[in-house]
Amino acid sequence: MQPKERVERFFKKEPVDTMPCFSGMGTVTVQAIDKMRIRFAQVHSSPEYLAASALTSAEIYGFDGAVVPYDMCTVPEALGRGVSLYEDAEGILYPTVPSKWEALEEVEIPSDFLKKGRMPVVDEAISIMKSRSNGNLAVGGWVLGPFTMAGQLIELAVLLKGIKKNKEGVESFLSDMTDLVIEVARHYQELGVDYMTIREMGSGTDIISPRMWKTLVQPNLEKVFSSLKSPKILHICGSTDLIIEMMNECGADALSVDQKNNVAESRKKLGDDVLILGNFDPFGTLVQIDASEVEPVIKKCIDDGVDAVWPGCDLWPDVKKENVEACVRTIREYGIKASPAVGRV
Amino acid sequence: MGTEERRQELLKALKEGVVEYEEDQVEEAAKAVVEEGFNAYDAVMNGLAAGMEVVGDLYDKQEYFVPELLMCADALYVGLDILKPHISLEDLGDKPKGQVVIGTIQGDVHDIGKNIIKMMFDVAGFTVHDLGRDVPLEKFVEEQLRTDSEIVALSAMMTTTMMGMKKVVEMIKEKNPNVAIMLGGAPVTKETADLFGADGYAESAGNAVQEAIKMITRLREMQ
Repeated sequence: MQPKERVERFFKKEPVDTMPCFSGMGTVTVQAIDKMRIRFAQVHSSPEYLAASALTSAEIYGFDGAVVPYDMCTVPEALGRGVSLYEDAEGILYPTVPSKWEALEEVEIPSDFLKKGRMPVVDEAISIMKSRSNGNLAVGGWVLGPFTMAGQLIELAVLLKGIKKNKEGVESFLSDMTDLVIEVARHYQELGVDYMTIREMGSGTDIISPRMWKTLVQPNLEKVFSSLKSPKILHICGSTDLIIEMMNECGADALSVDQKNNVAESRKKLGDDVLILGNFDPFGTLVQIDASEVEPVIKKCIDDGVDAVWPGCDLWPDVKKENVEACVRTIREYGIKASPAVGRV
Repeated sequence: MGTEERRQELLKALKEGVVEYEEDQVEEAAKAVVEEGFNAYDAVMNGLAAGMEVVGDLYDKQEYFVPELLMCADALYVGLDILKPHISLEDLGDKPKGQVVIGTIQGDVHDIGKNIIKMMFDVAGFTVHDLGRDVPLEKFVEEQLRTDSEIVALSAMMTTTMMGMKKVVEMIKEKNPNVAIMLGGAPVTKETADLFGADGYAESAGNAVQEAIKMITRLREMQ
C-alpha cells in the first residue's frame, strides 16, 4: 500500500495494511536540514527549502505524509504583524509574531492577504510537494483554529480578559477569525492538500474553562469544519479530557490530542468508531529519552486506543535519529493489528 | 489609627476584591488603608496576597481559569500601586528581600505565566527588573550585571525554547557564580532545572517566591 493511499483509506476508516506513520503538524528534522546544508531559520521563507525539507524528512524516516508550513506566523505576517525569524540566533528557534494588536478594534484584515507575506511561499511549497511526491506521499496542511488565531493577532491577555469584560466584542472578533481560518484552509484544500488539520491549540482547559470552550470555541469550530472537505482533523494540545466529547461534536473526521489526554478514557467516552490520533510527547520521546525507551511510549499510545500514533505537537527538529527510527518501527510493527476505528486488510 | 474591627473590614474588602476581580472595591479599600493610617504592608500581605492565595486554590480546583486569573491580577495591582509607596523598610523587617531579573526567553512570546510570577515577587517586596518576553539570552546576563540582582528568573512556555535556558544558566554562572537562577514554565520540570544547573525550580507562582526567598537566604548565609 502506498503511503498516500494508506492515509486516504485511514481517514475513510477503510482497512489498511498497517498503522500509517504521519502527523498533522510539522515533522521537519535536523537530519533533513543538515543534508540540505541549510539552517533552520532559512527554511521558512523559501518554497524550495520548505518543500524539500518536509519531503527529505519523510524520505529519511519513511513517514507516510509531509506537512507545511512549520511556523504559526504566516497568517499574522500576511495581515501586517511581521515575523521574527531569529536568523542570528544560535540553534533552532521557531518564528514568532513580534508585535500583536493591542485592541480588538485595531485589527484589519486586507482582502488580498492570501497574496501577502509568506503565504505564496507556502502555496508554492505545497505545489512542489504535490508534484515531487508523484502522488505517493500524503501532503498535509494546517491552519490555526479561530481562537488560537485570535491569540496570535491580539495580545493574549486582552483576548482572555475580553472573554469576561467584553464578551460581545470578543464573540464578534472570533466570528471574523472563523471566516479567516475558513478562507485559508479552503485555499490549501484547493491547492490539493490531502488532509487538513485545524490546530486550536490555545483553547485547552489549562487556559479556558469547558464552559467558555462550549460557548466561544465550539460554535466557531463547527462552522469551520462544516465549510471544509474531508479529511479534516481537529487538534488541541494541553488539557483536553474535559472537552473531548465537545471536540467530537465539531464535525472533524478525527481528533488529535497530546500526552495530557487520557486516551484510554477518551476512547471509552467516544466509542470505537471515532478516529483518535495521538498522543506522545515529541520532545520527551524523540529528543530526551534513550532510544531503547521509545518503544514502550509508542506501544502505550496504541494500547490506550489511538488509531494512529501522532506526536502531541510539531516535532522538535533536533530529534535523535535512532529515536525516530524506533518510533517508526514500533508504529509499523505494533500497529499491524487493527485499531479501534480502522481495520486491517 | 483605626480600630482592629476596621482593619479586618478593609483586609476582607481587599481580599474579596482580588478574588472577585472588583478593581473599584480594591481601589477604595486600599485608599482607605492609607488615609486611615493602617499598615500598608499588612494590607498587601493579609489582604491582597491572601486574596491571591484563594485565587490560586480556585485555579487548582478548576473553578477559575486563566481569564479570571488575569483579572484577579489586575485587581491586585490596583491595590499594590496604591499601597506600595507606603510600605516602610521596617515593615519588611527580617524577611530577606532582594532584586530579581525576570523574563521570557528568546523565541517565546508567551508572558502570562511570567507576569503572574512577577506579581508574586512584587507582592513579596522584591525589586523586579522585568525584561519582558522574547528576550535575547545575553540580555539576562547584562541586566543581572547591571543591577547586581541576586536572582534571575527565566520562563519558557514552550518545550522548544526551554533549551535556551541552559545557555543562560551557563553564561550567568560563568560571570557570577553566586547568582541564584530559577526556572519556570509549562515544560520545565525539577529534573530539567537540575540538569541545566539551575538553583531553583518553580512549579507554581506561590512556590516561586518561597523558592526565591530560600535562595536569597542561602546566598546571604554564604557571604
